[in-house]
Amino acid sequence: MPIFDPQFFSMAVLEVRNLKKYFATQKAVDDISLSIEKGTIYGLLGPNGAGKTTLIRMITGIFFPDEGEIFLDGKKFDPLNDVIHIGYMPEERGLYKKMKIGEQALYLAQLKGLSRSEAMEKIKEWFVKLEMQSWWNKKVEDLSKGMSQKLQFVITVLHNPKLIILDEPFSGLDPVNSNLIKDEIYKLAQAGSTIIFSTHRMEQVEEICNNIALINKGKKILDGTVKDIKQEFKENLFSIGAEHLPQSLNGEAPFELVGTKNQQSVVRIKEGNKPNDVLKYLIGQGVVIHSFNEILPSLNDIFIRLVEGTPAARQFQNLSKSSN
Amino acid sequence: MRKVLLIIKREYLTRVRKKTFIITTLLFPLLYLGLIFGTGYLAEKTRANLNVGILDSSGYFTKSMLDKENQLDKSSRLTLIENKPDVKSLELDSSDYDAFIVIPPLDWQKGNNNIELLAKRSYGPEASSLVEAKLNKIWDMVKNDSLKIDAAKQEIMQTSRLGVQFINMSDPKANAKFANAIGLACGFLIYFIILIYGSQVMMGVMEEKTNRIAEVIVSSVKPFQMMLGKIIGIALVALTQFLLWIAFVFLIYNITKASGGGDSVNSLVGGVQQLITSINVPLILFCFAFYFLGGFFFYASIYGAIGSAINEDVREAQSLSFPVTMLIIIAIVMMSAAISDPTGPIAFWGSIIPFTSPIVMMARIPYGVPGTVPWWELGLSMALLIGGFIFTTWFAGKIYRTGILMYGKKPTWKELIKWAFRKS
Repeated sequence: MPIFDPQFFSMAVLEVRNLKKYFATQKAVDDISLSIEKGTIYGLLGPNGAGKTTLIRMITGIFFPDEGEIFLDGKKFDPLNDVIHIGYMPEERGLYKKMKIGEQALYLAQLKGLSRSEAMEKIKEWFVKLEMQSWWNKKVEDLSKGMSQKLQFVITVLHNPKLIILDEPFSGLDPVNSNLIKDEIYKLAQAGSTIIFSTHRMEQVEEICNNIALINKGKKILDGTVKDIKQEFKENLFSIGAEHLPQSLNGEAPFELVGTKNQQSVVRIKEGNKPNDVLKYLIGQGVVIHSFNEILPSLNDIFIRLVEGTPAARQFQNLSKSSN
Repeated sequence: MRKVLLIIKREYLTRVRKKTFIITTLLFPLLYLGLIFGTGYLAEKTRANLNVGILDSSGYFTKSMLDKENQLDKSSRLTLIENKPDVKSLELDSSDYDAFIVIPPLDWQKGNNNIELLAKRSYGPEASSLVEAKLNKIWDMVKNDSLKIDAAKQEIMQTSRLGVQFINMSDPKANAKFANAIGLACGFLIYFIILIYGSQVMMGVMEEKTNRIAEVIVSSVKPFQMMLGKIIGIALVALTQFLLWIAFVFLIYNITKASGGGDSVNSLVGGVQQLITSINVPLILFCFAFYFLGGFFFYASIYGAIGSAINEDVREAQSLSFPVTMLIIIAIVMMSAAISDPTGPIAFWGSIIPFTSPIVMMARIPYGVPGTVPWWELGLSMALLIGGFIFTTWFAGKIYRTGILMYGKKPTWKELIKWAFRKS
């Protein structure tokens, strides 16, 4: 990746270089570099305790990095003045329970740097968009969990930030509200905002994100587009729906049987062969084929393979579990 | 700066608009007066009125003398036991008496300092001194009779006295009698304000941390601004409350004066006027405002740091804030020493060291500046307090920055200090 190509900088909204943050007991973020382009939905993945939140806190200016640099829009990140360009929804949601919702939104928007009238205008706009007009005089303690999540989301994106960072945005949301928020995330990305989406639930990311970075124990272990990563880590597995598939194979077969899934056989193509070779072989054997599909690994599997180095059989079990 | 103002505004308005603010503003003066007068009244009411039996072997005490004195002084009841039983055979349990006094044979010219008041249980020193005083009044009658002092002479003996009044030559306004009361009132007010509003700062910070709104806010403003905004906002609430109290007192005073009521009202108004003319009002008000704000900022930032360090558990708050509360209590103990001896070493050191100066110095100032408190002492105390609260705010800011986003185990004071001195 041409990190030091100046052309590349101008495209990246956020550029993080060799960022380090060590705490007394652990290396929370250990030399992470990232580059995130404008308008992407970027997934920051990793198990609990991987260093995602620490990384985000440095990007939002809450923590100072021990080492490394952050660039926002090609300029060095200035926590004091750049907060207006960032919207951050922490994993642990927080609002003043006893404060009226309208006043609260107004207060938090003004703290971001909006003027009172600007803030007012934006709040009204968003409240209409998400059908929250009647909430103005309610208190947060009167809202359901889903409702307060929605409010939290509005507060995060209200000031129209360039960079929106959402930490586990769907936790605790029902499918209806999840979809509502998901749609808004897509719209914001289309309108030019860049979204960093941090989670340990990999399956959500496959659906939403264009690009991802996998983080474990403070280090980035992988990044790229979801499509490329899946291609890179595919294991030449195919599922075959067929009648009378031979149960035992001789050494000439271009594939080996590794198991079954949804009443279909799963095969791995041997090195040097192509899918067509499998089909040719099976047709030659007189097998009637109904379906033939490539199985791409889920991000979850890739992650587990990378961090744990588990044997193939276990990965496969994992795969079948998560796909069922 | 705009953001700090926003935070101040929110902290101020959410508190002032609360019902509890209005209620405490109205109730506190009543409670404060109640505390002062109520305890005196209760002590009066609940004092044991002893029923004492007197076994007289001297022959000086007669039933008529005791009856006469029982009429005049009802604090206890003295009864002569006529049949003179043996002391050992006295049955306190079955008799109506709370105690007995056994009077041995006496010489009227010498008296006796070791007369015993025998009781089954302990009564306070006040109860026994009341009995003693009453017994001595009867003894006075005995002496007057023996010395042949008639009623007119007795009157002279009792009323003709010499009174001494203390005048501070370098500051004639420093009236020791009023200074004592004003100093006590000022010291206690500052004590209450630091304790009540200091813990409000602590609870406010705790609320933000446990609500998890802290992380939302620190992504917009610096933790230090957040802490400063809260402390200043709450200081303004305290100031508002205080000004309301002054207005309240002023209003009541003027209404009472205008009503032009009877003698008691006039004497009260006169008393207040005498009070006001006897002290340096502008100086006391200025110093009060200074020590009130200085003391508040000094302690509030420490309370804020504690609030940032604890999690949901209120018990953690108690154990961490205990040393701080202890310092404030030490200040109030030093204050009572400083009031009885406003130029002594406790008064001096207590009013110089910033931990105690807001309370101790404020109790000394009514005794007169520069008469009792020299200008240089006042200046040094103020400078050290300013330096002190700048230090505690800085120190607390460092703890706050780490604590506000730290969840899990309760830190100890040692760890807090480590946070404060760690480089960013």
